[in-house]
Amino acid sequence: MEPLKVLVAGPVGAGKTALAKSLLGEEALTTEAKASEDLGKETTTVALDFGTLAVGPYRVHLFGVPGQERFDFMWDVLAEGALGLLFLVAGDRPHHLPEARRMLDYFLSRHPVPYLVGVTRLDLGRAWTPGEVALYLRLPEERVMGLDARKREEAFRALARLVELATGGE
Amino acid sequence: MTRQEEIQTLIRSLRQAVPEVSGVMVASADGLPMVHDFPEGEAARIAAMAATSLGLGKRIATTLRLGEFQETVIRGQNGYFVVYEAGEKGVLALALPTGANLGLVHLEAREAARHLKDLL
Repeated sequence: MEPLKVLVAGPVGAGKTALAKSLLGEEALTTEAKASEDLGKETTTVALDFGTLAVGPYRVHLFGVPGQERFDFMWDVLAEGALGLLFLVAGDRPHHLPEARRMLDYFLSRHPVPYLVGVTRLDLGRAWTPGEVALYLRLPEERVMGLDARKREEAFRALARLVELATGGE
Repeated sequence: MTRQEEIQTLIRSLRQAVPEVSGVMVASADGLPMVHDFPEGEAARIAAMAATSLGLGKRIATTLRLGEFQETVIRGQNGYFVVYEAGEKGVLALALPTGANLGLVHLEAREAARHLKDLL
C-alpha cells in the first residue's frame, strides 16, 4: 500500500515537534536549534520533523513544518504530495489565532486536502476551547478537537481521526 | 569593541583571505540575521535558509553516521552557497562564484566559524 503522507503545521509553540516526538519516540527525526527569541521554549524547528508509523492498515509518513513564518519556504517543499493536514494551535495563545488562520488558509488553498485542527495546551491558564477556536477559524466543530500533543494516545487519536478523513472512512 | 564590531572585524579578515566571496552571513542558529553584507531585502530569507540548511545538514550527518558536521555545500551553475556551524548558537554562510577555490574557502571559513563560536 502507498504510504500516506501527513503534514503537521501550525504556529510556533503549538506542539508540532512535541507531537512528532510523542508519536515516534526515539525514531523522530527533528531539526531543532536554540531559540534566540523569547518563544516560551528553549528550541525551535528550523527545517522539518519526520517519521513513519502505522495507523491501522496505513503506513503514515509524518512531516512537520517549522512554525515561524521566516521558514515558510519549507512549507510548500514539505506539503508536496501530502494527503492530510494536522494543524495545531495553542489554546492558551489566542494572539496566535490570526496567524493560524492565515497559515491554515495558505495550506488549504494550495493543498486542498482533508484536515483536522488540534487545539493544544488546554491545561495552561485560560485557554480557548476547541469550540471557540472552531468559531474563530469558521470551521465545522467536528474538524476541531482538543489534544495534549505530549501524550501519545491523544496525539495518536487525532492522527487516526485525520487518517479516517483522508482515506474516506467515517 | 562590541560583539557586533568583533564579528564585523572577523568578517573583514575572512573577506581579505577569500576575496572572491560575494556575500557573508552570520546568523543565529534559529535563522535571524546578525551581521552580514547581503542586500537588506534578502538578508532575512538568506539567514533563515542558512539555518534550515545547517539544521538539515547536521541531521543528515547524524542519520548517515558521517561524523561531526563540517559544512553544507549548495552548488548551482553560477556559484556556491556554503553553510558552516558556529557553535550551537550560530551559522556562518558564504556566497561564492563558480570557480572559487573551495579548499581554501573551507580552511578560512572553518577557522572563522571557530572564532564566531566564542563570540556568540
